[in-house]
Order: sequence, then structure tokens, then C-alpha cells
Amino acid sequence: MSRQVTQPEKVRTDLIQTELPTPRSGGSRLRTAAFGLGATALLASCASDAPQDTWAPEGKYAQDIHNLQWPIFMIAGIVGVIVFGVVLFVVIKFKDRGQPIPEQGHGNALIEYVFIAIPALLLAGIAVPTVAEVISLNDTDNADCVINVTGQQWWWEYDYPVDASNNICGFAPTGDAAPIVTSGQMVIPVGAKVVIRGTSRDVIHSFWVPKLNGKRDMVPGRVHTWNFEAEQPGIYAGQCAEFCGLSHANMRMEIVALDDADFQAWIDNQLEPYQSPEAGTLAATGEQTFISQCSRCHQIDGLTNADGELVVASPEQFVWSGAAPNLTNLMTRNTFAGASWDLLTEDCRADVWEAPPAEFGAKYLEGVTKSCLNEIDLKEWLRNAPAKKPMYTDPESLADTDGKTRGMPYLALSEDQINELVAYLIERK
Amino acid sequence: MALIERPAPAEAPAVATPSSSFGVFRRPVESTGWKSWLFTIDHKKLGIMYGAAALFFFLVGGFEALLIRLQLAGPNGTILSADKYNQMFTMHATTMVFLFVMPMAAAFANYFVPLQIGARDVAFPRINAFGFWCFIGGAIFINTSWLLGGAADGGWFMYAPNSSVPFSPTHGIDFWGLGLQITGIASLTGAINLIVTVINMRAPGMSLMKMPIFTWMILVVQFLLLFAIPVITVALFLLMFQRNFDATFFTVEAGADPLLWQHLFWIFGHPEVYILILPSFGIVSEVLPVFSKKPLFGYPLVVFSGAAIGFVGWGVWAHHMFASGLGPISVAVFSVATMAIAIPTGVKIVNWTMTLWGGKLSFTTAMMFSIGLIIEFTIGGLSGVTHAVAPSDTQQTDTYYIVAHFHYVLFGGAILGIFSGLYYWWPKMFGKLLSERLGKWNFWTMIVGMNLAFGPMHIIGLQGQPRRMYVWTDARAGEGFFNLGFWNLISSIGAFILGIGVLLFFINVFVSSRKKERAPLDPWDARSLEWMTTSPPKEHNFDVIPTVGHLDEFFHRKYEDRGEGDHHDFHQVATAEEIMAEQEANADQHIHLPSPSYWPLLLAFSLPVMGYGLIFNLLLVPVGAAIALASMFGWSLEPHTASPADYDPPTPQGGAELEVSTNG
Amino acid sequence: MADTAVHDAVDEHDDHGHGDVHHTSTGLSNNKLAMWLFLGSECLLFGGLISTYMLYRGRHSANGGPDQFWDIPFTSASSFVLLMSSLTMVLAVTAAKRKDDRNTNLWLTVTAILGSLFVAGQVYEFTTFYREGLGYTTSLFSSSFYTLTGFHGVHVSVGVIMLLATVGMILKNRIPGDKAEVVELVGLYWHFVDIVWILIFTLVYLIPA
Repeated sequence: MSRQVTQPEKVRTDLIQTELPTPRSGGSRLRTAAFGLGATALLASCASDAPQDTWAPEGKYAQDIHNLQWPIFMIAGIVGVIVFGVVLFVVIKFKDRGQPIPEQGHGNALIEYVFIAIPALLLAGIAVPTVAEVISLNDTDNADCVINVTGQQWWWEYDYPVDASNNICGFAPTGDAAPIVTSGQMVIPVGAKVVIRGTSRDVIHSFWVPKLNGKRDMVPGRVHTWNFEAEQPGIYAGQCAEFCGLSHANMRMEIVALDDADFQAWIDNQLEPYQSPEAGTLAATGEQTFISQCSRCHQIDGLTNADGELVVASPEQFVWSGAAPNLTNLMTRNTFAGASWDLLTEDCRADVWEAPPAEFGAKYLEGVTKSCLNEIDLKEWLRNAPAKKPMYTDPESLADTDGKTRGMPYLALSEDQINELVAYLIERK
Repeated sequence: MALIERPAPAEAPAVATPSSSFGVFRRPVESTGWKSWLFTIDHKKLGIMYGAAALFFFLVGGFEALLIRLQLAGPNGTILSADKYNQMFTMHATTMVFLFVMPMAAAFANYFVPLQIGARDVAFPRINAFGFWCFIGGAIFINTSWLLGGAADGGWFMYAPNSSVPFSPTHGIDFWGLGLQITGIASLTGAINLIVTVINMRAPGMSLMKMPIFTWMILVVQFLLLFAIPVITVALFLLMFQRNFDATFFTVEAGADPLLWQHLFWIFGHPEVYILILPSFGIVSEVLPVFSKKPLFGYPLVVFSGAAIGFVGWGVWAHHMFASGLGPISVAVFSVATMAIAIPTGVKIVNWTMTLWGGKLSFTTAMMFSIGLIIEFTIGGLSGVTHAVAPSDTQQTDTYYIVAHFHYVLFGGAILGIFSGLYYWWPKMFGKLLSERLGKWNFWTMIVGMNLAFGPMHIIGLQGQPRRMYVWTDARAGEGFFNLGFWNLISSIGAFILGIGVLLFFINVFVSSRKKERAPLDPWDARSLEWMTTSPPKEHNFDVIPTVGHLDEFFHRKYEDRGEGDHHDFHQVATAEEIMAEQEANADQHIHLPSPSYWPLLLAFSLPVMGYGLIFNLLLVPVGAAIALASMFGWSLEPHTASPADYDPPTPQGGAELEVSTNG
Repeated sequence: MADTAVHDAVDEHDDHGHGDVHHTSTGLSNNKLAMWLFLGSECLLFGGLISTYMLYRGRHSANGGPDQFWDIPFTSASSFVLLMSSLTMVLAVTAAKRKDDRNTNLWLTVTAILGSLFVAGQVYEFTTFYREGLGYTTSLFSSSFYTLTGFHGVHVSVGVIMLLATVGMILKNRIPGDKAEVVELVGLYWHFVDIVWILIFTLVYLIPA
């Protein structure tokens, strides 16, 4: 409620603003009033703008952090203003106007103690809720949904395990349950406590979707857990926050929150069996091209070769980090190459990102249609991936990695092959 | 007339001339010319060389910063490739931290600590020279990586395993690690040297609590260095063995834990923050009282809070790791400890403000830089409190908000303090005043520049832009008032204004060097001992070692309180010139100073040789080791003063009895 | 290594001194203070190395751990040799204080021999381990073990060189200033290295992982 006071100009990203609940842990009117006042005074419109705004929480954990941090920002601001005021006063008041040499006193114990006591008390006041919040942020019990997240140079893999009662992320698939492996966008159900179990296959990465929670490093050899809970359907932008080498800037992630029915539909769609393109189409040629050019590293579940054998990718032979994105349902997601580029054209993308919460799910589940496909970026990528996103693929630089690349190499595909692949890939949804 | 062993200062004609035959067995005894600098062991000359080198690297680091800001001025910048950008920010930080702020503090410490405590040199002058050349050697060594295949590209904290060979196949990180080992030797020897100097060589009567505050802060810093450097040394050795000898300290597949590096690095790295900032706190605590004509408010408390920062600084390293997956208990403990360290820091701000309170303030450039520090550092300190709160830190760490924070702390704190010190002590070091008019321009462009450059980074960070990204895109920039595009551009513009501000300083130096006019002996009506000698000081610093009775000894020699009871009435009873004249009249007759030496330079030179050997060809390692051994051998056999044979013609009794006149 | 000469020079004619060459604010000589500070710094160096070893001591293959390689009786013997060298070092220092050059040199030499014996023992031990299959890069355990004990071995070796250099300089009468103090300084270093070994021996060899 108070938030609307602070951001009157905010109409466009209505999915966020229309009905945001009051801060969960806050109840009293005094608090709400203080919140409104503080936010208005200090940060009149801070909670707008960039999709990774850390001051615009849209989920429980980010909101909890925000409830803790805004009073601290306010206290810091007030202390700052007082210090500046006093310094300014002193500078004006005690300027040398020919006054006599002042007393050579060495201080005043009372003043000193007072100014030790004040910050000590302030900080003690801050410390108590801080400790409480640290504990609560790290509480990963009672998860509704568990997703395994793995970082590698320079993309994230999301792996939805099947639990003991044959559920995926707390939902029972309509058909047979099987693990879902995806990348780029992590799809979660709205209102559920989603616990990610994260790690890394190479260097340290950091998983960060500011509107839903703070960041947590994903360290190779360790499993770190972290919580997410979205309040509204929508897309939440994030970015790898720990420097992870050459293309750190191009390692992004997005969390997509869907309401229960849509999430169920998403799961069912992900688990649908593979369908080969119709014989004789460009896409069918593309399937063969994919098998010959791409399937060394990229898995498409259910894809079979001419002999009817399943095609199984073995990226560990070619990629240093040991994995490449699973492309089974590529066109159900809106991004590729570490969520750095969109599979949707600009207009179609805006249509999905700015859809009101009630319509968002349907729009997202449409996936990438032919008319919406961002062919330019996708083809550029297929033509020469390392030229678009800096990666270690130059054969000369691979001496220290047993010839394995870090990222997708230049494949010398012909334009025909690229067209075939695009025709094939557009059907993967 | 005085007897001195070391050839007289430049102004005085020496009776004996150095031997013209340049040989290993003849000692360098020149008092002028390049040899007098190259082989000097005089703490003042070394201080000046430390300062000149540091300011040079300040320009290098600043140039790197401008390239970074050019790249980020707009979306999808193309000035630098991803690879070059990663090298650039790594080297910007490395240069500013290790090759500018630390040696700049060493410059001031070297020059002024002996003067402030009334000593004639540091305890170990040759080790002092060795330290300086190690710093130069290490600094050049690191920077040659630009020409030899590319610089380090892992960020200045070089997190493992991204620093391992498969992830950084060039030699950049090898250069970085070995170079920092070499500069680390400089820091360690410097620390031991200065601690011994301060503890053992104070003028009679100068108890620890009568010691100038700058010297105190330097003392605290040297203890921090003494214990922090070995920790980074271990980390760098592990990194070297990892990269060059196939050890697996950070190889996860072998079972290693990458967090080991983070702990080692930050156990060094956090004290390092105080190593960078405390010298400037010391400078400010000297400058504010002088231009307020009042003693430092709560001197004992400033001393204790400095020491407290030094102690507590060891218990907060993990606040750099709040997001790295420590358990909630450790995070909570380190979070609270980090808040606690704000208290002694706050004490300083209060004490500085109270020093001004009731004073007689004159706004010289030095004073303005100091007041600027109070303001800008407060901003940095307060943003620091916001991420001492671990949960909010999970939103802020590794974003531009942190970049803003530490630039307010390090530029607004350390560097403004350094500039304050430069303006304040320049006439002492060179006998000429820097122009106050240009100085004010310098100050204001730097203040405007820094706030424009670093202020918007708060916004950029809170809007979600992580640090260390070679490009940012419109897709994540937003459109409102706080959009990343606008503020990134402002920040870049600010960086260039800041660059102009820095240039103004160098212009000021150039202009002042052309002026003929000498600075007065005591231009600021200063309070501490370094002003109780000529400007620049004589080679032996003081004609008479002063006996100290007060905290602000020099002030109390100049002024006398004629008031009664609570009524104070200060009258000048002596001028600096009169005090000087009295000293010269009673000058010590036998002042012995050690002679210059080749060995420190040669020994320091052997280290980069071994470094190149480790990287390119192991055969060079024994060559370097041989040079090192030879110079250690020469060093330990070398007497501390030159022998008669070192002069041309050989003097009958040698340097020790050489009679030369000083300019007194 | 310390610059004895210099502080003497600076202090020698300090009019406020007591005419004592070693007058300092604390009464402790510069060299000794510097050595203590250096050793303080060294504590952190070994602290870091020992922590690394403690973290990684268990990270090795099933039959590549300490139990398969340690030869406690042998290492105990070489530890005993190093301990004894501290005793002879003390004898050297007392002799130096008595200005008894002959005995100083004798005990310094014995100390150096004992130190060399220890280093030789370590070389033998390393060679044996290596032949039995424990290379430097075999496991995290082996890397951190060799790094820790190797650093200590280098320290002992440097100590031996310092001892022999001191002997040489006493023989040639090239020690500027106070001979006893130089011997004492070397002694301080030597005892420190010895104490570190006691710690390493206990943590690495005696306490099972």
C-alpha cells in the first residue's frame, strides 16, 4: 500500500505494483507510516527502473531483506546528514577571523564516552534483527520444491529431480515422471518455497535474482542451498555475481514464476515424448545436421539416429566444464547462451515481460513461435558463437585444458546448415 | 661546523670527491648525481623515491581506470575486449592498492617517522633501501606482464579456482603472484624497520603517548603488515605451486576446497584495508590540529581507537564472504564483529570534528583535503555499515554498490589523506610551497570528480549491476530516473573530471618547481618535530637531537601560555628561525651516518631475475640466486661507513674523520 | 643480516645517551627487537601452512595416507637431533657471552652439524616417501605435507648457513659490533625453527588424522 505512494509514476510494470502485499513481518501502522515516509523521503522513486533493482522486492526473502535494510539506510542517512551539518557548521563558525589562539585542551572525556555510546547502542540495535534475519534466510526446512542448480562457464543448468513420491517440484506429472533438465530460465511455482541446491562444475559462480533474494555463491565441490519464493507470476532477472572468468558479464539467469495450473502444464509439456520433424521438411534435414554437428555436446532427450538408437551427448569429452545446455525443449524458454540473448524478438519479449500477472502464464507457455523467433541473434550464434560471446575455444589456447573448450566453439556451419538447424530447433517445445 | 661521515648535503661542497673508478670494491660515496640516489640509504631520499614511484603508478592505475570507465560509459562497450577488460580491472586494483597507496604511505612513513621522533635515520638504512628496490622490482615485474602475454585477469582477490591454469592459461597470474611476493618483501622489511625505529629510536623524553599521531598510526600499520604479509605469502606460494608445479591446493576434482584461498586472502585482505587507510588517518590527525591551532581532540582515544581498529581488523575478514556459503553462525558472528569495528572508526570522525570545534581554522589546501576526507570517508563508512548487515550484503556484495563503498573509503579516505599530506609536507620535503591557488582548483576538481565518478555507483549497484562485467546491456538497464545508462555515463564523466583534478596536482608540482622562491621555515605554524629543522632537512636531520617535553613539542617551544587558571592566553615566544639558529649554534660535533651501498639494489635486483626464471626458463633461477648470494655476502662484509680507498684521491683517514662543512 | 653497524652509528654520538653504544628507547637492541618481530611474522607464515595441512591432511586415496608412510621411530630420532641442536646452540650463546671464541665456534659448528643431520634426515625421508609412491602432487595431503615440512626444511637450511657464516666471520674477526649479540640473534632464530618443528612433529606425525 505504501509502496504506491512512493512510486506513482510506475504504471508499466503493473505486474509488480498493483497488489503488492504489505511487508510480511511488519504490522503496526507506525511502521507502515515510517516505511512510507522513509521511502518517500530518501528514495522517492528508487523502487522502479532496472529489472535487477535490489530495492524492489517481489518475493518473501527479498522482502525480508528489504524490511531489514531500509531502516538501516535511513539511520545511515540521518547520521550522515548530522555529520555533514556539524562539519559545515564548524567550518563556518570557527573560520579564522583573527580570534586568539584557542585553549590547548586535549579533549573532554564526557563527549568521548557519549560518542562511543551512541554508535554502540545504534549498532547493537541493528545487530539483533540482523542476526535473526541471517538465521531465517538460511532456513531451508519445509521446502515445497527442490531444484538442483549448477553453474558453469558461462550458463546455469536447472535440474528438477523426481522425489520419492514421484513428484517434481511438489507437483505430480500427468504422465510418467522423469527428471527435467533445462537451462537459462528456472521455472518455479508461485507462492511455493523453492529451495535450490547449487554447485558449480568449474569456478565459483554466484546465483543472484535480486527481486527474489540476495545472492549465494555456487562453489565447486560444495552444495549450497538458497531459498526463493515469488509472490506473483512473472519473469525475474538475475546475473552471475561472482567474477567467473572471460564471459562473466554474459552469464545471466531468469526465474520464471507460474501459478499452479500453468506450472503443472509446464511440467507436463517438458515431459512430453520427443517428436521427430515430419519427413521431407527442412526441419527433418535439420535433425540430421543436429545429430552430426551438435549432438556431441547438446542433449535432446528421445532423439534417435538413422538406426533408431538413442543419441546421447557426451559433452565431457569436448567441454572442460563437462556439460552443455540440454536443448530438448529449447523453444519453451525465451533465452539462450546463458540467458544472454533472447529467443524472442524485441516486441514479443516485451509482450511477455510486461504481461499482467493474470495473463503472464498463458503468454509464457506459448513459448517461441515462428513469428516471434529472434532469428538474427540465433543465427549469429550458430555462425560463430565465440565471436558473439567471448569464450575459450581457440585451439591454440586449449593446451592447458586437454583440448577441451570452455564454451561453444566455432563450428564452420554453412548457411544452409544454419537454416536447417533453425527450422529444426523452432519445433523443440 | 660538524663532522659527518656521509658526504655533506648538496649545497655544501665536499672536501673529498668520490673515487672516479667505478668498481665493486669501491663504495658509492657520491653526494650528488644519479649515483647518490641509486645507492642511497638515506631515509629521506628513499622516501622521495617511494613517493615519486608511487605517484607514477597512481597515473598508471588511473589510466587503467579511465579505460574501464570509457568501456562502461555506454551499453555494450567496445573499447576493450572481455579479456583486456578483465586484465584492466585486475591491474587497476593491484596497482592502486599495492603500487600506489601502500608505497605512498611508505614514502611518508620513511620520510617523516624519523623526523617526527627526532631520529637521524631509520634503524636499518640498508634494509630500508633494499625494501624500496624490492618494491620497484616487484612493481616493474608485475607490469611487464602487459608486454609478455597479458596481465593477470582474475580480479585483485584472485579467487580460486578461477586462478588455476586451465581458467587463466596466460602467465599473467604468475607475474601477479610473484610480483606481489617481491613487493611483500618490501612491506615486511619496511614493517620491521619502522617498528624498531619507532620503538627504539625516539628522542629523549618522547614517551609513546607524546608521539605524533601520524607516527602512531604508522606504527599500527606496520604491525598489521608484519602479521598480514606472511598470510598472503602462504596463499601466493600455494598459488604458485598450484600453477607451476602441478599441486592441487585449489583443484576441486582432487578434493580441494576453494574457500581456503578466500580465507587466506581475506585474513590478509581485511587488515590490508586498514593498512591502506590508517596512514591517511594519521596525516589528517596531523593536519587538522595544525590548521585549527588546537591539539588533536582526545589524542589518547585516537591512538587507542587506531590500535583497536588494528586488533578488531583481524576478526572481521569473513565479511567479504557473506555470500560464499559460510554457515549462518559464522555469518552472524562476523556481521556483528564488523559492526563493532564501526565504533572506533566513528570515534575518529568525532574526534576530528571536535578538533575543529572551537579552533582558529585556516583553509589551506592541505586542510581542505583533510576536511574533505572527513566528509567523504563518512559516506564510505556509513555505506559500510549497510553491508555489515549480512542479509543486505547478500544483495550488495559484488555489485557496484560495493565498488562505490570502497572507492569512498579508499579514494575519499586514503587518497584524499595522501593529497593532504602532499600539500602539507611538500615545503618540508622540497623547500618550496605548492601553489595554493592551483591547489584549491586541484581540490575542488578532485572532489567534484570523485563524487560524480563514485556517487552514481551506489545507484548503479543498488539497481543490480554486478562489478567486473566488461559490458552491461540495455536489457537490464531500466528506464526510470535510476536507469543504468544515465548513471554509468555520469560516472564515466566524473572519472575524467577526477583525472583532470589529478593532472592539476602534477601541474602544480611542475609550476612550483620552476619557482625560485623558497618556502618559509615553518609555513603552517606547525606543531611537531619534523618542522624543527631546515626544509628540506639536512642529511643528518637535526643538528641537535631535541629533548621532548610535550605532545606538540614544536608548538610549545614557540608558544607560551601566560594565562592564569582557566584563562588561557598564548603568546609566541620564539620563531622557527630562532629555534633553528639556537640548534645550529649547539650542533652536535660528531654525527656519524652510514654510507651508501650497492648491495641492497643488487640483492633486490636478483628477485625479479628469479621471478622471470620461474616463469620462462628455470635456468635463470640459479643466476638470480647467485646474484642474491653474492650481494648478501658483500652486504654482510661491508662496513657501515666508507673506507678511505673509496675516495679519490684516497683520504688519509677515510670518511670517518672527513671534515666537511654543513650549510649550518 | 641486521644492520648492526648502522644503529651504532646513529646512536653512538647521541648526546643524551649514556655513552652506551646500545642505548635505545627501550634498552633492547635494535637487532634483537627486529629478530623478535621477524619471528612474530614467521609465526603467521607457519600458521598459514599448518592450517592448510590440517585442512587437507585427510584428503588422500584409501592407502595413500600418513599411516602408510610415516616412520615414527626415524622421524623421532631426527627430531631428537634437532632438539639437541638447541642445547648446543645455548652452549654457543653462553660461550659467546663469556667472549670465549673457541668454544663459541665449537658449539656453533656442532649445532650446524646437527641441523645438517636433520636436513639430511628430511631429504632421506622425502626420498623414501617418494619411492613408496608419495609424490608432491599425489594428493592434497602429500602437497600440503611437502609444502609445510619443505618450508621448515628451508628454514633449517638457512639457519645452518647462518651458523656457518657466523663461524666464518668470527674466525676472520669480521663481525662488526657485539659478537655475543650476533650469536644470540642466530640462536633466537634457531630456537624458533626448533619450536616450530616440535609443533609440526606433534601435529603431523604424532596426532592421527
